[in-house]
Amino acid sequence: MRLGESVKMQAAINITPLVDVVLVLLIIFMVMAPQMRKGPDVNLPNTAKPSEQGDERGRILVSVDHAGGLWIDDQPVAAEHFGEALRAAVGAEPDPKVVIRGDARLKFREVRQAMLAIEQAGFRGVGLIAKRAGAEARGD
Amino acid sequence: MQFNGDASGSNLQSEINITPLVDVVLVLLIIFMVVVPLLMQGYDVDIPRSSANAVPAQAAESRLILSIGPKACRILEPPAGEGLPADCRVTLADQNIPAAELPARLAQILGSQPTGKRVLFLAADDRLNYEGVLRIVDLAKSGVQDLTIEFITTH
Repeated sequence: MRLGESVKMQAAINITPLVDVVLVLLIIFMVMAPQMRKGPDVNLPNTAKPSEQGDERGRILVSVDHAGGLWIDDQPVAAEHFGEALRAAVGAEPDPKVVIRGDARLKFREVRQAMLAIEQAGFRGVGLIAKRAGAEARGD
Repeated sequence: MQFNGDASGSNLQSEINITPLVDVVLVLLIIFMVVVPLLMQGYDVDIPRSSANAVPAQAAESRLILSIGPKACRILEPPAGEGLPADCRVTLADQNIPAAELPARLAQILGSQPTGKRVLFLAADDRLNYEGVLRIVDLAKSGVQDLTIEFITTH
């Protein structure tokens, strides 16, 4: 085996198709990323300086859609069964934290009722999810 | 690559090893693919106690209460643009003030407290728009570091 020759062969591998594939994958995932979220499409409120809330894993996502419908993670839940559904979701998590994704068009009443139901399941605090004003809308 | 006549120079350029670069880019791509869609931003708040006679965390008279009503602050619909309507007024510790003064007032009242005791009780009217209420939460948190906001219900 002539070492010099084989090294030359490797260095000459044409990686342009590989880079093309990677770029296309990148674009596909950028487009798909908003649809990978849990829960319904919620038009999140715009505020000036929301603080970081970490990522969705390990959180119980309570969504309130624009019609006032309640969701836990990606399941719609009837208001009268909300408490037990929340307790079921809590049981599966080791260190549960609850966040509320409320639609910007809601009245405060709907969000407050969701907060009361969460309090009855034994939580003292929630995170209210918003998005930074001026940041691009990520499809929800 | 033979057209510029400098055969050795162009040979060198064509043999730059870009494999590590591609590796790094692929790893970065995977990291961003996994992390970006899951990041959230928002506000931590405390929830109102449902039972009316629950023991308040703080003596009632020392509570700093911020009330927002639909008459003084017209945010029944999602506020247009950014921020709050210019004529929005709120009630902080029984004083009626323009919402724009809220961060300065809160800094004045709570700035000297130790961080664990910076608590603001927020009484928002049910009829208000949720986005408007969150913008007031944002305004309050911008005035004081580590501010704890607890929603209360007023009846």
